[in-house]
Amino acid sequence: MKEEEKAYYHWLAQAVGVGNKRFLRALTEFGTPQEIFTQALSGKLADRLSERFREKAALLSETSRLFDVQGEYERLTARGIRFVMQEEDAYPGRLFQIPDRPWVLYYAGTLPSKHAPAVALIGARDCTEYGRYMAGQFGAAFARAGVQVISGMARGIDGIGQGSALREGGYSMGVLGCGVDVCYPRENRELYEALLAGGGVCSEYPPGVEPRAMLFPPRNRIISGLADAVMVIEAREKSGTLITVDMALEQGRDVYALPGRATDPLSGGCNRLIRQGAGLVSSPEELLEELSCAAGGVGSGRKARAGGVKAAAVQTKLVFLEGPAGELWEILDFNPLPTQELQRRYEEKFGKTITLPVLFQELLELCAGGYARQVGGGYFMRVMKT
Amino acid sequence: MLSTIISGAVYGVQSHLIQVEVDVSQGLPCFQIVGLPGSEVREARERVKVALKNVGVKLPPMCINVNLSPADLPKNGTMFDLPVAVGMMAALGKLKKEETEGILLLGELGLSGELKPVKGVLPIAREAAARGIRKCLLPVENAWEAGLIQDMESVGAASVQEAVALLQGKERGTTEGLQGKAQGEEDEEFLDFADINGQPVLKRAAEVAAAGFHNLLIIGAPGSGKTMLARRIPSILPPLSLEESMEVSTIYSICGLLQSAGSLKTTRPFLHPHHTITGRALAGGGRIPMPGVISLAHRGVLFLDELPEFKRETLDILRQPLEDRQVQIARSSGSQCYPADFMLVGAMNPCPCGFYPDRDRCRCTPYEVKRYLSRVSGPILDRMDICVEALPMGFSEITAKEKGESSAAVRERVMAARQIQESRFEGTRLRFNADMGPGEVERYCRLGKGELRYMERMFSSMQLSARAYHRILKVARTIADLAGGGRIEEIHLAEAICYRQSDRKFWQ
Repeated sequence: MKEEEKAYYHWLAQAVGVGNKRFLRALTEFGTPQEIFTQALSGKLADRLSERFREKAALLSETSRLFDVQGEYERLTARGIRFVMQEEDAYPGRLFQIPDRPWVLYYAGTLPSKHAPAVALIGARDCTEYGRYMAGQFGAAFARAGVQVISGMARGIDGIGQGSALREGGYSMGVLGCGVDVCYPRENRELYEALLAGGGVCSEYPPGVEPRAMLFPPRNRIISGLADAVMVIEAREKSGTLITVDMALEQGRDVYALPGRATDPLSGGCNRLIRQGAGLVSSPEELLEELSCAAGGVGSGRKARAGGVKAAAVQTKLVFLEGPAGELWEILDFNPLPTQELQRRYEEKFGKTITLPVLFQELLELCAGGYARQVGGGYFMRVMKT
Repeated sequence: MLSTIISGAVYGVQSHLIQVEVDVSQGLPCFQIVGLPGSEVREARERVKVALKNVGVKLPPMCINVNLSPADLPKNGTMFDLPVAVGMMAALGKLKKEETEGILLLGELGLSGELKPVKGVLPIAREAAARGIRKCLLPVENAWEAGLIQDMESVGAASVQEAVALLQGKERGTTEGLQGKAQGEEDEEFLDFADINGQPVLKRAAEVAAAGFHNLLIIGAPGSGKTMLARRIPSILPPLSLEESMEVSTIYSICGLLQSAGSLKTTRPFLHPHHTITGRALAGGGRIPMPGVISLAHRGVLFLDELPEFKRETLDILRQPLEDRQVQIARSSGSQCYPADFMLVGAMNPCPCGFYPDRDRCRCTPYEVKRYLSRVSGPILDRMDICVEALPMGFSEITAKEKGESSAAVRERVMAARQIQESRFEGTRLRFNADMGPGEVERYCRLGKGELRYMERMFSSMQLSARAYHRILKVARTIADLAGGGRIEEIHLAEAICYRQSDRKFWQ
């Protein structure tokens, strides 16, 4: 597609505002965006439209007069923002498999590769420590295995998984519910910059669009659409994450979920998904095996299986610690437990008393060794050493 | 004729003796008070005039001039009524010069001639004693306050006639028993630590905080006993020494609060202002500066419940007093300095709903949690040496029959640690481990080679900051003092590290 023509597409995209349907209808009506622009400029646009759109058309004519089509396009490119149209080769191939695909996809950074596998790593925003931890593990493992991590750059699971993948040197794509030049949520600024450097952000909305609640559910279809499979880390029974899962199922993507405890509300959604037939995945290796792409590349299923077994072995045979530290590690949980609860459990389980100072010392030893983590002031949790 | 009476006034926590000069001479009848009198002082004219009339002293139609010297100090308060009345009687020749010489007079007059109590007697009497005055005449209710001062004979009078009679030697005032009352039956209405069931970590942290006078931050769900514990902290702090008790009583006397206490303050103050408190009420101030809540908490505990609910500006006022241990208040009427050496105990919920990180109950988003916590400014949190979590109590803990350790037992350990600190800091301005600055930390909290290696390892693996490092050393020093005062060992350091605010890392 010629650059000149793309400039008109950009004009149309930002002129009709958000919404795939309007964009599509305008194009089928007029053929090319350039044609629409000419019509708008001459003020004849309103004649070709039904009564309902007269006002909008008049406004369009007004604004198009002030719009420097080529100049705007150049400025956009200069800011590092590009877009692909459905007709272009660069358009992510996976999106062709989904209905209601965006006609235009703005992006900054790079688009995901068609050759490397991609997984959507998604989950709740208000995640638990367990979710936080597992999202980090999955993100990092995917990065090491060369799997691209697609997610929504949201708070919680999304951001943690993507950040972890990028730190491992992997690729990650953040699909936004606002313009690609808007960082939302603001506290993810660091992640946003990292994505621009080591992956990309994309959106079907033109640059400058502010985040609005109604814009987020539609973007979920792009998250699942860009991925080969969807991995849910944590979700409540009623969760926005499950919208993405529904979309994924409509699009024919495989859905996997990380199981949690029955009593944990934030695992409720995942457990339900598993009951409904989603794949149960308890370590990144298992998923990699399912995707049959182990650390070495694509198609070495056996190698992946071996890797998975090895990883599992490491997790259970972790404790080489001796004395109270080792005993303490046994009673630690992936849920943060308060110090006094640990003291109670220790005394119950081992039938000997442990004073608070000794308890503090041993716990800190575990933390320093990377076997545990202090959360908040007086809470401690187990972590898996990698 | 001219007469001179000794009186006094309070400026900040300092006081000055004021000479009340009364002159009655021929001339156009008038009555005026000069020497920067405030409105209460100016109104003394009316009170004195009527009171004297009502006790049968007729004022002749003469020119009466009263000067309060030094004349360049602003005078406020009602304590000049009695000196003016007595001075007038002396000037009229109803009292001899010797009868009023060398006696400190303070007191407010009622129209009937009765004497009413005034504020600030203790510091004024102390100043008078320092200036060689050995006798004072005060309203009965105040007499015991001055009686606390050594070498000071304090006489109480109920009315102006009685005061005059006492001065003339016609009556003997009762000074006995004042000393006894002054020493005070300590109002031992202490809440006891034994009332707290469970919460071993919280209690231990409170003990450490009390031993080193460290500021304490308690984070916990609603109903987990944060307030209950805070209220009991004074009961484990060492009792006030006589000198400290004097300091505290002086502030209470200035605020007129010593009256209701009825004796010298011997228990450590515990102040718990509501979170709607204004900055002025907290730090002190007003047109005529008065001590605020932080000064009333001097040598005691200032407990701020629901810390994030306090206005940010209000809390930020605490920054300077926390650093300097005193508060400087400048007003047009002058600049005053009030002591404010208190132990700050803050309590807060971990999130708006109060149950974080219990994900079963807390539905607050990380953003909400973060915003809630950021309401407390960093510099205030930085001053919190010890941070501890209070946990919601289980049923077994609420109904537990066996009592916890009593305050007396805990206090004994605290006192032992206090003694160690006293001998360590002898000859310095420091009193508690919490008072140490970075330089002093280096001097008094020296670590052995092994411990240094331990801290080095912890520093990197626990991601400690330089600021946290010093805090940890100070707290570790106190923990070591509680354990007998030897070297700081690994186990002490470990506990101190656990008490740090994990640098608000998990609150992301």
